[in-house]
Amino acid sequence: MEIIFNTGKYKRKITKKPRINTNEGPPGKNVQISAYIVERPDSTYPVSIKPYKLDLTQFGEKVRDQVKFRITNVSDKSVNTSMIATSSEYFEVDLPSSVGPGESAEGVLKLKEFALDKEFEKSFTFDLDDAPKTRFTVPVRRKLRPSVQQARDAQKNVDLRGDKKGDG
Amino acid sequence: MKTLPLAMMISLLLMIMVGAAFGGPNLTIPESAFDFGYVPQHSKVSHIFWLHSTGDSTLQITKIVPG
Repeated sequence: MEIIFNTGKYKRKITKKPRINTNEGPPGKNVQISAYIVERPDSTYPVSIKPYKLDLTQFGEKVRDQVKFRITNVSDKSVNTSMIATSSEYFEVDLPSSVGPGESAEGVLKLKEFALDKEFEKSFTFDLDDAPKTRFTVPVRRKLRPSVQQARDAQKNVDLRGDKKGDG
Repeated sequence: MKTLPLAMMISLLLMIMVGAAFGGPNLTIPESAFDFGYVPQHSKVSHIFWLHSTGDSTLQITKIVPG
């Protein structure tokens, strides 16, 4: 069961407990999701991620199948990263294994063949090895916009239909 | 002679009680909580929870109520 959480205008700590009702009978069973919603992406500690929302929307004909992001360590201690959860069916994430104090490192998200013609809103979650095991979830979105050529073809068809009408 | 039927009745009752306790559909959620940690505002994130049917009859999900 996939839970999709829209952070919307929420702020700070939020917990949700969706309930699953089954033929077991009431009261059903709950799952729980929690998150700390950040208004300013550069306000996270000990690292910040830029961009914090990864958008792979396909606008033109050139296939957009990867996106880069930077993890900047704003603390004075080195941190190691570990992947917690990802949508491996859709993409793979090359996460920098460690980031030194005051340094930044690049990560790359690459779409899988399966996802190229899909629209989706997924995410991946990783944590750090600092004392509180700070955790980050990065949203990943892909929309498919009609290519310029497709739009031109569509316009041509409309024009042709218009011409035929005029002729008849 | 009277003790045998009584013992049988108790056994039968126990069997019914055990059956009632373990029979039927059963939903088990091995990982029922997930912490996303930091998440940016105005975005959508997702997580997959695995639902296991561990009873002895078909489990039907009748409704999901958002939290």
